[in-house]
Amino acid sequence: METDIAWQKELERRARIYEDIEAGGRFEGVMTTLDYAGMTLLTLALVVGFWIWGA
Amino acid sequence: MTDHAFNAGLGAAAAERQEAARNRDAAERGDAPLLPSERLWGFWEFTYANSALAIATWAFLIGGAIGLFVGPKEGIAAIVIGNIVGVVLTALATTPLSGRYGIEQFVALRSQFGYNGSRVVYVLAVVVLTMGWLAVLAMMFGRSIDGLAALSAGEAANPTGIKMVIAAVGAILVTWFIVAKGPTSIKFFNMVVSPALVILMIVMLYLILQNRSFAELLAMPALAPPFEDDTLNFIIAVEVNLAAGFSWWPYIGNLARLTKNERTAFWPNILGIFGAAALGEIVGLLAAVALGESDPTIWMTKIAGPMIGIIALLFVAFANMTSMANILYTSIVGLRQVGTASVRAISWGAILFLFCLIPLGLVIFYPQMYDGFFIFLVWTSALNSALAGIGIADYFFLRGQKLDMRSLHGPQENGPYHFCAGFNPIGLAALAVGFVVYVMIFNPQTLASIPAFKYLTASVPSCLAAGGVHYVLTRLFARGRGWGLYP
Repeated sequence: METDIAWQKELERRARIYEDIEAGGRFEGVMTTLDYAGMTLLTLALVVGFWIWGA
Repeated sequence: MTDHAFNAGLGAAAAERQEAARNRDAAERGDAPLLPSERLWGFWEFTYANSALAIATWAFLIGGAIGLFVGPKEGIAAIVIGNIVGVVLTALATTPLSGRYGIEQFVALRSQFGYNGSRVVYVLAVVVLTMGWLAVLAMMFGRSIDGLAALSAGEAANPTGIKMVIAAVGAILVTWFIVAKGPTSIKFFNMVVSPALVILMIVMLYLILQNRSFAELLAMPALAPPFEDDTLNFIIAVEVNLAAGFSWWPYIGNLARLTKNERTAFWPNILGIFGAAALGEIVGLLAAVALGESDPTIWMTKIAGPMIGIIALLFVAFANMTSMANILYTSIVGLRQVGTASVRAISWGAILFLFCLIPLGLVIFYPQMYDGFFIFLVWTSALNSALAGIGIADYFFLRGQKLDMRSLHGPQENGPYHFCAGFNPIGLAALAVGFVVYVMIFNPQTLASIPAFKYLTASVPSCLAAGGVHYVLTRLFARGRGWGLYP
């Protein structure tokens, strides 16, 4: 029972840390539009390029 | 008195450190989100870790299977196209949320399927996939041993004979024994096997190119194309590779939670998983077509004489055991995480053995599964592609990339992820729709397809349909019922 309460407190602490980070917009290394655009372009380039080359 | 207070202070500090270590261990197991300060992997560490996961003997198997449908040029194109699309969609569905919150993948899944629904998904996606791969890899081990014995004795191999079955059963039992002993030995094998497999691939590629130029290899025909229509054969090859890409869905989210942030959780998959798997498959494809045999345990004996054949087969047998130990360990850790109290009460060794029973049965009663393993792989994509679509729709478009750590980890019975008796009927319906769309477009068992398959594949429409249904039904029904804490 005591362990349960301690664990709930620990979960609460961890959740609060994430809520603080979120509220302050302090997430590091967030994926930006640039990342998503880069990922889309890379995928399209590989799909189209290899389709033309191989199919 | 001062000494007493000092000792008491030291004792309290030691107890605090112990508790912090216990909490961190519990968070690593997935019971709580890992904090940014607790996460260890940067870009290159994660790239190495997921390359090690992707460089496995199954890459040779998949590459060899591609050689059945198309020649090397079309095969390389299919490998790149299928894997990049599969890996990118899978990574999008699982890694940004793990990288942002350090959350265990199946705990996060409560937000999409409910806390009981996530258990169902675990059984469907992880348990079935792992049991199938355990059986296939054990049979590959058995065939390696059978080939080895035949090569040493100068006899013909019998890949479905009793020697293969005995060796495959032995491989599963030894894997059970290794994993029952704990993860330390598995980590050691990983450090040795992954770099050695890269060396093996390079040596194989060198040996293949000794006999034929790259241009000659590219011009070679497929081993056994199932249809006269070349475009259809090519799209089936793309579909098998999409399935290979989507098959990382159960694993990469939980690796990504050990990375420091979203970017380091996402991008290494492109280098590690996509790059390493594609390299291994291309080697498997070229060898299969050049040597006229899709089974790696046979083409390895032909590639450069008995001596190198024996070394390669021994190594493949060893590497298979490592892959088996990896997937068995990961699945059982997850099973205990999502399992009910009665599942958690079963001892580690006993639950491992129970898990091995179905793979043992497959090895003994259905050894033909090995030759049609790609059928099993493609079946898993009917599920994994739909799961990826639901994951992307839910996290990016419905929740605006925000998860509630408190509700996800707190008591579930009366929480927002209770949905309907712990199941989110919307998520599960979307999963069923994705599965049905897949099978209606392309039947993995018979390879029968409708004309649209040649232009759309089956995994991509399944992913879109499941994501679309989940999005629309959630917007229409979930918020009004107060389900799922949607904004």
